[in-house]
Amino acid sequence: MAHSSNQIFTSYERNPALLDEIYESNGEVKEIYKKLFSLYGEHSILDYVKLNEKAKSSFFNQGITFQVYSEKDTQEKIFPFDLFPRIIDPEDWDIIERGAIQRSKALNLFLWDVYHDKKIIKQGIVPMDLISSSINYMHQMLGVDPPGGIYNHISGTDIIKHSDGKYYVLEDNIRCPSGVSYVICNRTALKRALFGVFNHYQTCSVTNYAENLLELLESVKPKGVDVPNVVVITPGMYNSAFYEHSYLAKTMGVELVEGRDLFVENDFVYMKTIRGPLKVDIIYRRIDDLFLDPLEFKPDSSIGVPGLFAAYKKGNVTLANAPGTGVADDKAVYTYMPEIIKYYLNEEPILSNVHTYHCSRPDELKYVLEHIHELVIKPVDEAGGYGISIGNRLTKSEIETVKKQIKENPRKYVAQPILSLSVHPTYIDESESFEQRHVDLRTFTILGKDKEFVLKGGLTRVALKKGNLIVNSSQGGGSKDTWVLKNN
Amino acid sequence: MLLEYSIIYKAQNHYENWVDDAHWQFLIIPEQNNSQEFVSIDFTNSLNVPNEFSVNAYGFKTIRVNPKMKFKDIAFEADFKLIKREVNPFDFRPEEDIEGSFKKIEELNFRVDFEPFLRTTPLTFLPQNDKGLFVFDHTQSIFENLQNLNNWTFKHLYFKTGVTSVDTKLHEILENKHGVCQDFTHLFCALARANNVPARYVSGYLHQGNGYFGDSQMHAWAEAYIPNIGWMGFDPTNNLLANTNHIKVAHGKDYEDCSPLKGVVHTHGEHETSHTVQVSSQQQQ
Repeated sequence: MAHSSNQIFTSYERNPALLDEIYESNGEVKEIYKKLFSLYGEHSILDYVKLNEKAKSSFFNQGITFQVYSEKDTQEKIFPFDLFPRIIDPEDWDIIERGAIQRSKALNLFLWDVYHDKKIIKQGIVPMDLISSSINYMHQMLGVDPPGGIYNHISGTDIIKHSDGKYYVLEDNIRCPSGVSYVICNRTALKRALFGVFNHYQTCSVTNYAENLLELLESVKPKGVDVPNVVVITPGMYNSAFYEHSYLAKTMGVELVEGRDLFVENDFVYMKTIRGPLKVDIIYRRIDDLFLDPLEFKPDSSIGVPGLFAAYKKGNVTLANAPGTGVADDKAVYTYMPEIIKYYLNEEPILSNVHTYHCSRPDELKYVLEHIHELVIKPVDEAGGYGISIGNRLTKSEIETVKKQIKENPRKYVAQPILSLSVHPTYIDESESFEQRHVDLRTFTILGKDKEFVLKGGLTRVALKKGNLIVNSSQGGGSKDTWVLKNN
Repeated sequence: MLLEYSIIYKAQNHYENWVDDAHWQFLIIPEQNNSQEFVSIDFTNSLNVPNEFSVNAYGFKTIRVNPKMKFKDIAFEADFKLIKREVNPFDFRPEEDIEGSFKKIEELNFRVDFEPFLRTTPLTFLPQNDKGLFVFDHTQSIFENLQNLNNWTFKHLYFKTGVTSVDTKLHEILENKHGVCQDFTHLFCALARANNVPARYVSGYLHQGNGYFGDSQMHAWAEAYIPNIGWMGFDPTNNLLANTNHIKVAHGKDYEDCSPLKGVVHTHGEHETSHTVQVSSQQQQ
């Protein structure tokens, strides 16, 4: 199909240096995008704008919002959504899915090991530093056997497609990864707006997430429980992901609770109901470790449940994810993923890591300080894209500030080459046209007792600012529906 | 010889305004170990709400209280009775192979196994310049070095109540050179760890009949791990090895892990709290 016949793509500018996901290298639209391209081409850009606006307002009306934290104020926003979906073919998806499961399993075994025998450290495969200087290593979890042996029940793996056409993992989020509700809402919004396009594609469903999540949670019920009572605990309606917490509770058909709705008596957890206390067996918790129980961790936490950790340690309640998983989503651990996968699974990594320089190693620190302009500098223990510096975007004085920060606390930073994330056509309000924008993909992997599942889809996050590489929603990114095509 | 100890722990809380909800967790029950045998425990509170016995994150016994009523005053009283075997802290086989002991503590396996008690915590953080305050002499045994460190800590700080609190950091303690038992203990632990010897913070009771420092609150001392010997108790506040008069409750990386009382109290306004501890003993027939 020639460009000129497609009205909405007339002004689309392709930068040949970037990998555009809808085009082949010869400039042809990819086979899997052709139908979509022509269907969308039947509309004028004005039609498209109207539909997009309609989709957006439906997000607002449903209260699908998140909050952005900054020093000045907190704002409620809708997650900018784009009607042009991203399509992943079955061959690519196969790699992603197997790779995500492999990483989740390896990380789970790593967590078991660092909270039990610590063999991987004793055998010198990874340095002791990964636990001894990690603030997320939780001594309270030493020797604890979580039900089913599962720590990272839910993992969010952030993956990018590099200009070499290969997928790379940017990070593993195994504390409380969020975003899955957007995956499902994006699909619903797209179906509402453009139902017809789905007839032309065999797209895998994403609405089965909640049933799989519930099945997972029930697979790790405490010993001696027959029909477990599951709840979702949220820090409250002011949390940035509150919509998601309520969405997941609703779609799983379980109660959404806050800390004050629960209490612990004789090491069992109960929920207050109008018909009296009801025992709780499994908690999908969306509260950070240190806020779970004010009697064991932060005493000023008002969102936790006093006595919860003792009940957990006794095996009377399951927490998902397990406390202490943060030690493994430390970015310093990430750099050892190839070794970790090899050690526990005796397999080669299916998904590649991005090469990482540890500032804690003197020779690598030297390299980082000399090549800051070509590197992305990341703090090892922050989430949400906070604290990241991209070398080639920094002014001279900013470079000096970053260098100073690194030198003061080298263990806190890692650096990676600046990757060229693939781009995807994205509707941009300001120019009222499609432009190339960088995208990544967060996949959601579920690991239970004899259960593994990757949601066939995921959150494609778009960096809405031109040229911006940070796609986190908290940094002003948007999202796209992501289609995984069925294997014919 | 066996000694029978009686420990009375009292806590009183007065709140200016009504308290709607409160949770307390007491970490005050003596540990059951080789030299301590438990006889009885009696724990009461003035509101007569039921107590719950549980185990905290580090495996030590706790008592939890959650009055499900409004109140302004609550008092707690614990009465523990236990039998203690007389301890002679010098009754152990001294290290024969000094070089071997020092080599042992450098081994990766050893360091991994004792990682919690070798790590730096906010309360045992030594400023860079102070890391060399006490350097172990490798011609002497680890035990002798620890004894010297105990003595050094005792002399380096002087005992003074009311000038530090439970979260005072070491740099401040080293600047002012005074403090109470937890400060002595944090300094001892920090310097033992700086010399690669695992050290843990111990909280417990001290029988004060013999004019020791330790006031009428709970006491703190340290335990350090010596290869082939095991954990040994050092009381740097009194320049003593832990002995029959030391009744252990719990141990941890620092005070944070052993805090005798943790509470979440929902109220506003002023409140007053007081604690007292009384330890008495008598020889058993």
